[in-house]
Amino acid sequence: MSGADIELRKVHKVYYKDRLEIPVLEGLDLDIAAGEFVVLMGPSGSGKSTLLHLIGALDSPTAGSVRVGDARLETMSERQRTAWRSRHVGFIFQMYHLVPVLTAAQNVELPLLLFKMSASDRRERVKTALDIVGLAERADHRPNQLSGGQEQRVAIARAIVTDPDAILADEPTGDLDAKTSTEILELLNLLNAEFGKTILMVTHDPRAASYGRRTLHLDKGVLSREETRAVRPPAAAASG
Amino acid sequence: MQNLRRNPLRMGLTAVAFALPMAIFVAAISFVVTLGEVAAHFQRQLRLGVHHRTTLTNPLPEGVRRKIEELDPERSRLTAVCGMRWFGGRVPDTQNTITSLGADVDTFPTVYSDVEMTPEEIEAWNRERQGCVVGGNPATLYGWEVGDRLVLESTVPPYLKLEFRVLKVLDNKERANFFYFRRDYLVESSKDAGLNDPRCNVFWIKCKSQAALRSLQQEIDALFANSPDETRSEDENAFVANFLQAAGDIPGLMRAMAVVVVFVIALVAGNTMMMSFRERTPELAVFKAIGFQSGRVFLIVLAESVMLAMFGALIGIVPAATVLYLFPPRGLAVGPISGLEVSWIAVGGSFVISLLVGIVSGLWPAYQAMRLQTTRALRRTG
Amino acid sequence: MVLPFSYHWRNLFVRKTTTLMTLLVVAAVVGVFQWLLGFADAITDSFAVATDPRKLIVLKPGATAESNSAIAIDEFNALYQVADLARDPATDRPLISPEMIVQVSLPRLRDGGKTFANVAVRGVTDEAFLVHRNISLHGDGFSRAEREVIVGQAAARQFGGLEVGDVIHLGYAGDRVYRVVGTFSAGGGPMESEIWGYLPSLMNAYNRTTYSSAGVLIAPEADAKSVIAQIAGPAVELSAMTEGDYWEAQTRLMAVYLGISYVLVVIMSLAAVFSIANTMFSVVAGRLGEIAMLRTIGFSRRHILSGLIYESVVLCTVGGALGSAACTAWLIGVGNTKDMFGANTFTTMAFEIRMSGLIVGGSLGLVVLVGVLGAIVPALRAARMHVVMALRTP
Repeated sequence: MSGADIELRKVHKVYYKDRLEIPVLEGLDLDIAAGEFVVLMGPSGSGKSTLLHLIGALDSPTAGSVRVGDARLETMSERQRTAWRSRHVGFIFQMYHLVPVLTAAQNVELPLLLFKMSASDRRERVKTALDIVGLAERADHRPNQLSGGQEQRVAIARAIVTDPDAILADEPTGDLDAKTSTEILELLNLLNAEFGKTILMVTHDPRAASYGRRTLHLDKGVLSREETRAVRPPAAAASG
Repeated sequence: MQNLRRNPLRMGLTAVAFALPMAIFVAAISFVVTLGEVAAHFQRQLRLGVHHRTTLTNPLPEGVRRKIEELDPERSRLTAVCGMRWFGGRVPDTQNTITSLGADVDTFPTVYSDVEMTPEEIEAWNRERQGCVVGGNPATLYGWEVGDRLVLESTVPPYLKLEFRVLKVLDNKERANFFYFRRDYLVESSKDAGLNDPRCNVFWIKCKSQAALRSLQQEIDALFANSPDETRSEDENAFVANFLQAAGDIPGLMRAMAVVVVFVIALVAGNTMMMSFRERTPELAVFKAIGFQSGRVFLIVLAESVMLAMFGALIGIVPAATVLYLFPPRGLAVGPISGLEVSWIAVGGSFVISLLVGIVSGLWPAYQAMRLQTTRALRRTG
Repeated sequence: MVLPFSYHWRNLFVRKTTTLMTLLVVAAVVGVFQWLLGFADAITDSFAVATDPRKLIVLKPGATAESNSAIAIDEFNALYQVADLARDPATDRPLISPEMIVQVSLPRLRDGGKTFANVAVRGVTDEAFLVHRNISLHGDGFSRAEREVIVGQAAARQFGGLEVGDVIHLGYAGDRVYRVVGTFSAGGGPMESEIWGYLPSLMNAYNRTTYSSAGVLIAPEADAKSVIAQIAGPAVELSAMTEGDYWEAQTRLMAVYLGISYVLVVIMSLAAVFSIANTMFSVVAGRLGEIAMLRTIGFSRRHILSGLIYESVVLCTVGGALGSAACTAWLIGVGNTKDMFGANTFTTMAFEIRMSGLIVGGSLGLVVLVGVLGAIVPALRAARMHVVMALRTP
């Protein structure tokens, strides 16, 4: 139940729109230790999300290497990347992207359907995940019966149910009010402190930045500066 | 109007899903219209058919004609009576039997006035024992023209092989499948072959009015009731109705298909307009926010629905009508129906139906668009 | 299917109107398909049933059907010289059945007697029951002394005045009264639409001195072709054909009807395919974010593709079931009896449309095919979608 370390070397990423080349990342180097909680900040268009996508094997770099744990992502085919990320990463987005027609438990169960597991094993894992995020009693509720914060917690449960090496969060509090944002951030902190998950979080919110041990600033495709702070201890476990 | 072009793929799919059933519709309605035209034609022709009550294949004696004529000596109700005998001629070396009938020489041109024989043609008919009048379909199929000689083999006793000379080729569609010749030629030839049988399968009476037809119908059946020659008299439409069952009620099938088609295109159009409306709610809200009046928005959505329907109709009806016009399937030729021909009334009617469907299926989305509350709709884009 | 069934099923209810409308289109297509093919099936079935490979129908050369054939008695007697015929075990005489065909006009029960149909009346002798091997008598047979007839079960069901105990008027002048004393079945073949009576009695009633046709049963090991050749030869000079060939020749117009049916089915199915495609494109457009999310979790392109196709097939199956039920209800409510008038035989053949397992299975197959074909392009588009791009869309 620990995280993986992440290493990027000379990573370039270029997007093509019609026939225009849009360079997003230019020769980026990055190291993240296993179990670190890193925050990524920067102006719009600086490539923060792109960096996240590359680490999460959602996309391939145009050049350079991306290593997560033992895996060299830049050498993988699309099919291999898909299979890899189902096991090794969990994503959390600003828009919760829960399936509206499924219950919370069924949503959390989704990643497990990709593995050969018995139904009872899946049920157990789902229960564990929901317990960790504190939504055990909402297991049978549909997303439209949950508040924004609760929906995001279901998303987090879904992200951890496969016991991934890394959790990648893209503006997880972007759509939430201050109080709920804090709850979510505390939850992520807990996952990192107690379960040793490597967490990389992209955010605009300076308050959110205080949760990470390191804050990286990305500007025009390169890392501009880096700040380190003391590890912030988690608040009391699992808030309701 | 550019809205339709925003998603050309989806509009294209809808148009095709609309067009395909419309192609069926125009063919089916053409058939139904043709039937209607034929029925109207026969109604105007005022012909009454008298045959044996038990079945058409039991011929009636020749004398029945005189008895019918005696019912109306002043000729105030009937013009003429023509006796006909089934010949069932087969074209040699084929399996095709032509609807061929021997008709009384003197009254045929009168009773079948829709054959429109000119005085010269009547004169030739009277003069030439072997003269025949041929419908357009067999004439085209076998390449027969005026002046040609041909042979038909009868499929009824005494299985004569008779030679004919073409006096006229008919171009009216109700007669397109028929072949008429002189009954006296048939009777004499049968006698020569050893069979003396001058009876008639049916007597056709040209009446002077619908009322006259009905009164004659009753009188004739009453006259022959309880005799060995008991009759059943029917107007031409009733007579023909039996033969149209020949391929399992194709008229009924065509009518049913027309109904199913209208149902399906209404669903297709309605579905697309609903989906389109749902996806363009923010856009429509922007229209209204800019200042378009609700009524205007209503008309815009409705107009789109109509345009979509008409476009679908166009790409469905035009190719179908063209194909039917160029290659009318003759396989359906039976009795007075000479195949499936496109009817221009049907084409017009099909466009009208499409228009109506376009309007009706656009009404609900247009109404929703009109009632759209701008602020709520704009917020929905979140 | 990797994704739970409830995912696909509940998605159908998200946009109820769209689902309902698409469903109804499929239902209409399937309903039409089943009806048309049920009809086609009933026709081809009843003719197929009629074919006894050992039975020959003998006509006068030149005649195209029994109703316009006339065989003189001495011509008929020549048939007894033909070799390789089956023999009556009791009398050891060759099994040759002299027969006479006339028509009688009877009201159709289906429309309350508004229209009339020409029903075949066949004059037969005892041999007929041995030559036509699929005839089974239900109830009494006709006697030779009295004026009695038996009616085929299909005829009794569809035409008026043919119940046991009723009388019908036969004869040239329509004045001979015959009583219906029993019914018979003929394996569902065309003969079940006929009325049978005693040959000499009917010949008398119709002033006939000739037979219409003869039915001949060849010996079990005999070759039909050689017997046909014998009958055509100079000793007999009549025209014989197997029963199958005889009925095939009568069905030209039916082929037209079948052709039309198939064309209609294809066109309507295409319309359904385009309609489904339209719906699925809209579905995909509305679920781009969700699909992107599934891909990030680790569902492969193939999962997305098959999931969407599966959803489409589920939708179509429901529509198909609805259409199938509607068609069956229609047939039960309005009646599944139909008849066809043979222009050559000049008689009407009655049959019933039944939903055979093959047709229902065919409907299911069609539904699945339409569902797959309609969904394939939108599903491919969704599967090929670039995940990252889709994640950016709200």
